[in-house]
Amino acid sequence: MISHEFIFNEKLSFEERCNRVFRYQAKNNSVLKTFFEVYGLSSESELNPAEIPLLPIRAFKEKSLLCGGLKPKLVFKSSGTSGMERSTHPIANPDIYKTSIKTEFYRHFPPDYYALACYMPGYRDNPDSSLIWMAKHLIDDNTDGLNTFLPEEPNEFEAWKERAEKKGKKILLFGAAFGLMDLAEDQRYHFPENTDILETGGMKTYRREMTKSELRGSLSEGFGIKSEKIHSEYGMCELLSQMYALSGKWFTSPHWVHVSVRHADQPAKLCSPGEEGKIGIIDLANLHSCSFILTEDRGVMNQSGEFKVLGRWHPENRRGCNFLIDQEM
Amino acid sequence: MVSLENHIKRVSDAIEHWLRPDNYLLKEAIDRTVNEGLFSFPDLKHRILTLKKSLRKNHLERWARISGLIPGSMNGKRVLCLHAGNLPLVGIQDLLAVLLTGGTYSGKMSRKDPYLLPTLIKSLYKYDLIENADWSTKLESLSGFKSDAVLFAGSKQSAEKVNEKLHSLNLAGSSTPRLMRTAHFSIAYIRDNQPETMENLTEAVFRYGGTGCRSVAVVVAPFFLNSQKCSFTDYVEAFWMKNPQHQKPSDSLFHRFAYNKGVGIEQAWLNDFLIEENVEKPIDHFILYWVKGGARELEEIIKRYRDGLQSVYTTGELVGEDFRGFISDTIQWLQKQVDK
Repeated sequence: MISHEFIFNEKLSFEERCNRVFRYQAKNNSVLKTFFEVYGLSSESELNPAEIPLLPIRAFKEKSLLCGGLKPKLVFKSSGTSGMERSTHPIANPDIYKTSIKTEFYRHFPPDYYALACYMPGYRDNPDSSLIWMAKHLIDDNTDGLNTFLPEEPNEFEAWKERAEKKGKKILLFGAAFGLMDLAEDQRYHFPENTDILETGGMKTYRREMTKSELRGSLSEGFGIKSEKIHSEYGMCELLSQMYALSGKWFTSPHWVHVSVRHADQPAKLCSPGEEGKIGIIDLANLHSCSFILTEDRGVMNQSGEFKVLGRWHPENRRGCNFLIDQEM
Repeated sequence: MVSLENHIKRVSDAIEHWLRPDNYLLKEAIDRTVNEGLFSFPDLKHRILTLKKSLRKNHLERWARISGLIPGSMNGKRVLCLHAGNLPLVGIQDLLAVLLTGGTYSGKMSRKDPYLLPTLIKSLYKYDLIENADWSTKLESLSGFKSDAVLFAGSKQSAEKVNEKLHSLNLAGSSTPRLMRTAHFSIAYIRDNQPETMENLTEAVFRYGGTGCRSVAVVVAPFFLNSQKCSFTDYVEAFWMKNPQHQKPSDSLFHRFAYNKGVGIEQAWLNDFLIEENVEKPIDHFILYWVKGGARELEEIIKRYRDGLQSVYTTGELVGEDFRGFISDTIQWLQKQVDK
């Protein structure tokens, strides 16, 4: 198995690391090999990362994307309501995921500073959830034993809060957006004003789809916490890396991830800053599966390469008669 | 008071006048449409010939009878028609429907088809069938005239934006009745690969570049795509020799082809069109989904995607059969009717 340390070695340029991963996957991942061949690319090709074609994310629903000769040590599956196809992400080396989680999470939320409470009720029913695995890892990795899933009994929660306070740690409440909305309405839990909240996941399973700013407003009001204390994580079972947006600002990526926004009609073409398109991600932590992914999320980028997630990409129905106001005005 | 029969006769006369070969206004509109690259000449020719056959007096009478038309039911009411531009003259039936019910037509011409329909309106003027019609390619130019009803084709997503715009221009209030057609594609169910069937299927899929809602986007057939790929491609090439595809797909179609290849979906790449042995909700142009199966598979697809389905077409003794509420038409009629 190819060694993975180079992925996290910042001394190497992203381009160099990316090309190494490209060559490895173009040779060892049969789906990507064929996909790249259609574009005339092979494991010998040297490319600028932005030129590498991105595989539509639905491939995780149709095929095992594990590189040849490897056996999965873990398999992550996306959550899904009945009848929905679920993405499957086989993981050959969980150490890569561990390094990726800790490096970026602790960069934003240092373990000496925060006591973590994870609240992921819906996800706990999914034993293959990558989010639950991440939460468990952050809990197990914690040396003072404070990191935890949110205690189910309010008394236990109060005791935990006291222990965190004694150790001089602030609370970081980490959870899926729709679960946090419910928790905000639960009067039995009282969070101190200086609590930070980290929300993740889409709102599609909640009452209705909300924008990030609506969500932050509701969480701020519900928990009685200033909105600048509310942060967002962007992750999914298909990625072994996460991106974070602090205090409602734009998402930033770890140094081993390259995010771009692509034209839906021309997936090879990058959108200009401010222009909406599909979010494309090169995640080098997906070393043994597929690092080159075109998501179905709608996003926009700024001049600095930071991005916002605007929701799901809902393709317009272009067949037949359809009066599309954007095209007709 | 003019009887319905007389009214239909006058409308039919006006249409006949409009479609006469010496109608230089229509000829000019066709030339301009072709010169500006909006539609190809073979598509326009086919469309005009189709209308000549299908907009005769007896057809209008049949339409009035089937739809339960009440003459004068829209007298004094302004009906706003928002025309899509996927096919030449795609909004013609809306204009005629308003006219037959006695309504006042107000039309937003598509920017993709701005010249053809106005020539019919001018013919209708000549026959005193239209008085206060107004039309424009700009919705803003119609503002100030609040409508009593709105006709358009769209989807749940596009409707929201349309409604917002109509409201902001004071063209329609929240309670103004709207009739939105939501059909976007048709299905062909074939049981043989005889030349006649395959030729009809080719026409059904590829006429107008497959952009009509009567255009077939899904084929249910008793064969795998792989076994028909070569011969079907021959039919398509023969069709394209006479009717070159006017619109070209975006790069995303090639991206899809590369993806299908990667994940092993059987497909046929025709440069400007993709046929794949797969099925999903047909929302994109230039893709034909091929499903190996029979009536059971057909009904399953209808069940899943019925909200966008226009028609089910088939052959032989299956014509007229009810497939989950869709009475099948013969594939031979396809595209020869008044296309929507």
